Amino acid sequence: MNEEQDGTNHQAGQWMAFQQIWGETFTKMMQLGCTFSPDSAPPDFMRQMRSGIFQGLGQSWEQFLSSPEFMEGMKQSMNSAIALRKMTNDMFSKVRHETHAVSRDDIDAVMLTVRHMETRVLDRIDELAARLEEVTGHLSGNGPPSAAAAQHEPTPKPQANKTAGNNPTSRS
Amino acid sequence: MNTSTANPWAKWQESLVTESFAYARRMAQLPSLHHRAQLVKKGASPSTVVYEEDRLKLLHYPGTQPPRHATPLVIVFALVNRPYILDLKKGRSVVNHFVERGFDTYLIDWGSPTYADRHLTIDDHVNGYISNVVDFVRERAGAPQASLLGYCMGGTMSTMFTALHQERVKNLMLLATGIDFFTRDGLLNLWSRPEYFDVDKFVEAFGNCPAEFLQMSFLMLKPVQNLLEKPLNFFEKADDPQAVDDFLTMETWLNDNISVPGEVYREFVKYLFQQNLLVQNKMPVGKHTVDLRKITCPVLNIMAKADDLVPCAQSMPLNDLVSSQDRKSIAIDAGHIGLAIGGKAQRDVWPHACDWLAERS
Repeated sequence: MNEEQDGTNHQAGQWMAFQQIWGETFTKMMQLGCTFSPDSAPPDFMRQMRSGIFQGLGQSWEQFLSSPEFMEGMKQSMNSAIALRKMTNDMFSKVRHETHAVSRDDIDAVMLTVRHMETRVLDRIDELAARLEEVTGHLSGNGPPSAAAAQHEPTPKPQANKTAGNNPTSRS
Repeated sequence: MNTSTANPWAKWQESLVTESFAYARRMAQLPSLHHRAQLVKKGASPSTVVYEEDRLKLLHYPGTQPPRHATPLVIVFALVNRPYILDLKKGRSVVNHFVERGFDTYLIDWGSPTYADRHLTIDDHVNGYISNVVDFVRERAGAPQASLLGYCMGGTMSTMFTALHQERVKNLMLLATGIDFFTRDGLLNLWSRPEYFDVDKFVEAFGNCPAEFLQMSFLMLKPVQNLLEKPLNFFEKADDPQAVDDFLTMETWLNDNISVPGEVYREFVKYLFQQNLLVQNKMPVGKHTVDLRKITCPVLNIMAKADDLVPCAQSMPLNDLVSSQDRKSIAIDAGHIGLAIGGKAQRDVWPHACDWLAERS
């Protein structure tokens, strides 16, 4: 019962917001109509009227687009779009699996595995680089570099014209 | 006898005839528009691709003279839309300003992400791609540091990069860059509030953030202006070849959208729009946390007063958050795109920005 009432109130709110937009637009048009005279050149007058209408409409729309009614409507439509997309994704995945084909989910799983492996390898390289720097520091008698500096200095060696696959050379 | 006294509506009749002819002239131009739109050139200045990584291409603008400044300039564009807006056409090219003034200029073209790129994060872009590009450019130019110019989302990433790798950045220039996302000035900030927009569910369902979704969101920021006023204003100038050319070039760019990698989109919405972590010096980028106080290089922050995408209030706080002694803000009467290609920006802002950079390069 309460939900039904909420729905009705929500619709009434939206309707009021729309009424306000058009009400303000027509008021603006009427105001401009009062300046109408044979002396005003038609193109200028029309442009003035058009600009007034658009200005009024623009302001009202801006108000409407930031109103709770619009935000609630946007949230509902986004949720519906997401649900629909999920449903289609699931359906296509099922069809592909049933036909022993590869689905997007499978590709995603492989991509994630590759990324996790990449992260682990790069982390290990960073560690080794830091240790190497430490050792080099000891050998040259300058002492070890600070931990913070070591963490911030995984300066990657650029590889020009590297075009193969999704394989960034260094991260973090 | 005065005509207006004899017939007060004579002016109206005369105008009606003139306007009817003008209307017919404009209508006659419409069928050729599609063909003319196909001829729009993307990018005005000559460039060569000098570095590639995955979908990223680094464009180098050689210019007619050898570079006059020791520090190369890397322009970091946003992940939304294509970067040729910064080199749109002759007389409307930000890139050309810098090339003409003798800067060794590079521009990052991120390319169009595929579904496989949905897991790319801000860390991949900042500590991966931008880092590699900056190192490549430094090595190529034989310079210890590079200057960065970031536009919009590219500005936010450039800021993060500078905070994490200050030693590699000589100067930081930002153009319409979002820093403080808790301002109430922008509709995007309102629409992305967590109670109305579940970004996790969105990215989970869609993978990358679809280009059409972004385009629609940008159109809805000013629906009356974008969907009604703009086409009507264009029609009134349809018989002016220069105006038509400008319009088609601009529209080609506006509709040349690309999707944003899902993870980047999730992090931007969640950490910046919803939690505003950058100004709190808590923004996580991979294993690091961005601390804006670590930025010590000269900063030039350029903003547009009529920007509905990144309102001035979003960019303004940066200069108070960095440790740089040499910092400057410029705000002009323009919109988000007008800041790059508008007549006022081309006349006043870019020559000034070139002077600023020349003194520090």
